[in-house]
Amino acid sequence: MPPKRARASATKTEADAPKIRADALTPTFDLAKQIYEQLDRGEIPRMRLPLRTKQNLSFQARDGVWKLGKAMGTRSARKLDGALMLLRTFYVVDFINEMAADKKTSTLRELYYISEGWDDAKFHSEDESNLLIEDLEVMCERLREDFRLHPEENGASVIGDLTIKEKNRKGLVKTINCRDDVGDGGYALPFNVEKEKIQFVGTNAKFVIAIECGGMVDRLAENGFDEKHKAILLHLKGQPARSTRRFLRRISDELKLPVVVFTDGDPWSFRIFASVAFGAIKTAHLSSYLATPAAEFLGVTASDIENYDLPSDKLSEQDVRALEAELTDPRFATPEWRAEIELMLKNGKKAEQQSLAKYGLNYVTDRYLPEKLTQMGVL
Amino acid sequence: MPPTPTIAQQLAAKQREISVAEFFERNRQILGFDNLQRALLTTVKEAVDNGLDAAEEASILPEITVEISKEREDRFRVAVTDNGPGILRKEIPNVFGKLLYGSRFHSHRQARGQQGIGISAAVLYANLTTARAARVTSKVEEEDAAHVLEIFLDTQKNQPRVDSEDLVIWDRPHGTRIELELKARYIRGRQSAFEYLRGTAIVNPHARIVLVEPDGTRVTFERATTDLPPAAKETLPHPYGLELGELGFLLKASKRPTLSEFLAKDLQGVSARAVRDLLASSGLPPGSKPAAIQGEAQERLLAALHGATLVNPSADCLSPIGAMLIKRGLRNVLGELKPEFFAPPVSRPPKVRGGFPFMVEVGLVYGGGLPADQPVQILRFANRVPLLFQQGACAITNAIGNVDWRRYGLEQKGGTGVPSGPGLLLVHVASTKVPFTSEAKEAIAEDPEIDKELTLALQAAARHLRTHLSRKSRRDFASDKFEIIQRILPKLAERASRLVGKPVPDLTPVITRIMDVVNVETKVVPDSKGVRVPVEITNYTPRPRILELFAEIPPELLAQATFDPAPDGTDAALGRAWWTLPKLLPNGKTTLAASFPPKTEVDGNDFDWYVAGIDEAHILGADPLPGDWDVRLPRTIVEAAEVAAQEGAAAGTTEEEVDYDAAEASAGVRDED
Repeated sequence: MPPKRARASATKTEADAPKIRADALTPTFDLAKQIYEQLDRGEIPRMRLPLRTKQNLSFQARDGVWKLGKAMGTRSARKLDGALMLLRTFYVVDFINEMAADKKTSTLRELYYISEGWDDAKFHSEDESNLLIEDLEVMCERLREDFRLHPEENGASVIGDLTIKEKNRKGLVKTINCRDDVGDGGYALPFNVEKEKIQFVGTNAKFVIAIECGGMVDRLAENGFDEKHKAILLHLKGQPARSTRRFLRRISDELKLPVVVFTDGDPWSFRIFASVAFGAIKTAHLSSYLATPAAEFLGVTASDIENYDLPSDKLSEQDVRALEAELTDPRFATPEWRAEIELMLKNGKKAEQQSLAKYGLNYVTDRYLPEKLTQMGVL
Repeated sequence: MPPTPTIAQQLAAKQREISVAEFFERNRQILGFDNLQRALLTTVKEAVDNGLDAAEEASILPEITVEISKEREDRFRVAVTDNGPGILRKEIPNVFGKLLYGSRFHSHRQARGQQGIGISAAVLYANLTTARAARVTSKVEEEDAAHVLEIFLDTQKNQPRVDSEDLVIWDRPHGTRIELELKARYIRGRQSAFEYLRGTAIVNPHARIVLVEPDGTRVTFERATTDLPPAAKETLPHPYGLELGELGFLLKASKRPTLSEFLAKDLQGVSARAVRDLLASSGLPPGSKPAAIQGEAQERLLAALHGATLVNPSADCLSPIGAMLIKRGLRNVLGELKPEFFAPPVSRPPKVRGGFPFMVEVGLVYGGGLPADQPVQILRFANRVPLLFQQGACAITNAIGNVDWRRYGLEQKGGTGVPSGPGLLLVHVASTKVPFTSEAKEAIAEDPEIDKELTLALQAAARHLRTHLSRKSRRDFASDKFEIIQRILPKLAERASRLVGKPVPDLTPVITRIMDVVNVETKVVPDSKGVRVPVEITNYTPRPRILELFAEIPPELLAQATFDPAPDGTDAALGRAWWTLPKLLPNGKTTLAASFPPKTEVDGNDFDWYVAGIDEAHILGADPLPGDWDVRLPRTIVEAAEVAAQEGAAAGTTEEEVDYDAAEASAGVRDED
């Protein structure tokens, strides 16, 4: 068991911490008032929150992304889980106020361990604490950074001719070219990619290619794909973190570059694309801020597996279930995506990005990507 | 010069010579000596059964020691010592050295061995496979020394041959020890001597059994009770069960002067009127000498007996284990597995098939260390003897397989066959004549009467299991609720109140809304003055409750119980007691207590609680009063029950809101950030 700590260790100085706005936690006071009144009336304490489920996603034509719909759920003290979450909400609010007083911030993981000292209210998993913070975001219409909480650095990386200015931990502003000023690992994204932290200076690139696997990023870099085709390579690292998605959105908005997404050809990769382009279910309350509606799916598609005769694996039972779930996911309810999902189900096959190496190490950069990008009108 | 024997005479002589040895060879399987492993088990079994029978007949608490040692590969020495009354010197050779010799061959009572083949067959097997004599030591209380005899069974004459004889000082007042050296194999696990003795210990909790294994391991099954089971009474044969041969034997052996007296006094269930009817229907003169009735007359008499209306055979001659001892035996032997549930054992009333009484008993154990992913363990017993072989061919197994255990909370593919789960079933069939599938007495044969009783007994045990499982799941559900009201809600109220700067409001209405049950909680508190069983009834519902509480406990426990407050009424025969409780306000509670003498064996499972005056959905730790109790309820209780039923119906119609936390958990989006 990790040692109990009274408060979070400082990771940054107050000057750099996101400012907690005086009214950020007002809705939590309203919640306390509401619960007090319910208790006073002899009612079981409860609160209502918009449901973050795929059935409650609604498309916002104005933003071109999927956001939370109007369906509400009740968190009630009638059930143990609900009672615990209500109680934890107050513990978390206390903790946030404490941090504000001490001019500290904390990681989500630290919050989870802080809860060790909360007796019955302690979190049983980091999933639980992360969910509660998202609930607070929804309730208060704020970002978790506004509550002085942030994820651990997860280092999604960028390689390409993109020049940025980053204000580092010491408060110094560094100008960095993501191709010439970095090592083989590329430029690692911090968790905060907002304007006060990162500014775009300029680029000669014509498009961004967001890639699921690190091995494929390395292949493209080694083959000089970024220079030859004026591309920015962005490593998604599987299901992309908020900062990675926010960074893509900013490139799309501010640099007006096309974004293509290059993943494995399996049901899970479709979900990666959905959270990049349409908005993720869990963070649907933040879709207009995190999703990049202009992003397009490059592949590997189900038809690529056939057309390029790629080495493939049979779909597992889990894969089939995931595809079937996608058929009922409103985000995939377009004729193109339905056709793609149904084709994969019909063929029963999936393939990795690296399966393109069947035809040699240069095949992906010399043949596959140019062909696909030309079809998409990017090249 | 003697006359030359005819061929027939020669053949006859030859036939006699081979008779016993050949009989044994031909019947090895039914006698239980068809392989090395079984030969050892059968030998142990026969000796132990004899020892238990001998001690019990003399009203001695049995103490049996089984020592098995390895002489060399496939050769073992088995010594079984009992503390029975001992055997008179002149009887020893016949008991151990003559097949088909026994005191109970024509006896009509329940006993472990029935044919008198058992121990002498083991002696014969030992003689044949190792050419060693059986060594028998026996001492009766009246004599100062024990007789030690070395016995062979003469296979030509089916007669014992005593090779040597001695008198020794034996440091016990009485008892018998038999030592045999035989070709055998020793195993552990299924169908082993250990398993046989464990089973024997379960159904004979009054016996102390010690096993010393070949590697020196000493296993002791301590006795769980010092009460001897009531001795099975010897009864007269009942006409319905007679066959021609046995009738002939009885007639011949009868000392009654006339047929009338024979019918009235040597048989069971024949009234004076029945004697007259029998004489009339058989056309036999009442004054005939019993021994004189032979041939066709015998057949007429038997037909008349089978057709007569007679009093059913008495069940006095049965020796059931009894519910209390089944529980005690199972607890004693399975205790270290810590099973979560010992079902109240089921002892069916005696029934009759043919002329023979029988009865069925079932014990059920569930949970704890019993393996969950395997078929339930089945312990079969016939007349208190474990049945280890032929499980698949046994009527007991069949009856188990024909119960749909899925309805009672066990897994069972297709609703038939031996169910799976952390369970153990003990099934005992007691009868003066158990119908075995073969002379090896390993499996009970199918019989519609026995099957019916088996099914009823198994279903009764299964219902206890279902009740236990549903109570358990309700308890789990309730434990969440208790956690909310006792630990979470007070803190939530404290924090919310602090943030708004007001005092914490009275939580009673919220607590009763969350719980919405009347909780009946039974505890068992043993101390030096006795065993106290306090029962706390708490009204966690939002309205006042007027309730009547009913207890059902084994009648023998009820007889020892004193209650505070005294019940409004009791039924000693059915083990029931009932109270009208004081009016309970929301969050109000009342306690009543049962007290028992020190060391009374009682646990929470012995009490079944029933409540009248409330809807089923609102009781925890008790059940609604079953309709078949046929009790007259006070008017207020009836009204309260009606109101409760209406409430229950109304509660079902409230609008269900989507549970936010359940929806989150099922959304399957945990892989996103």
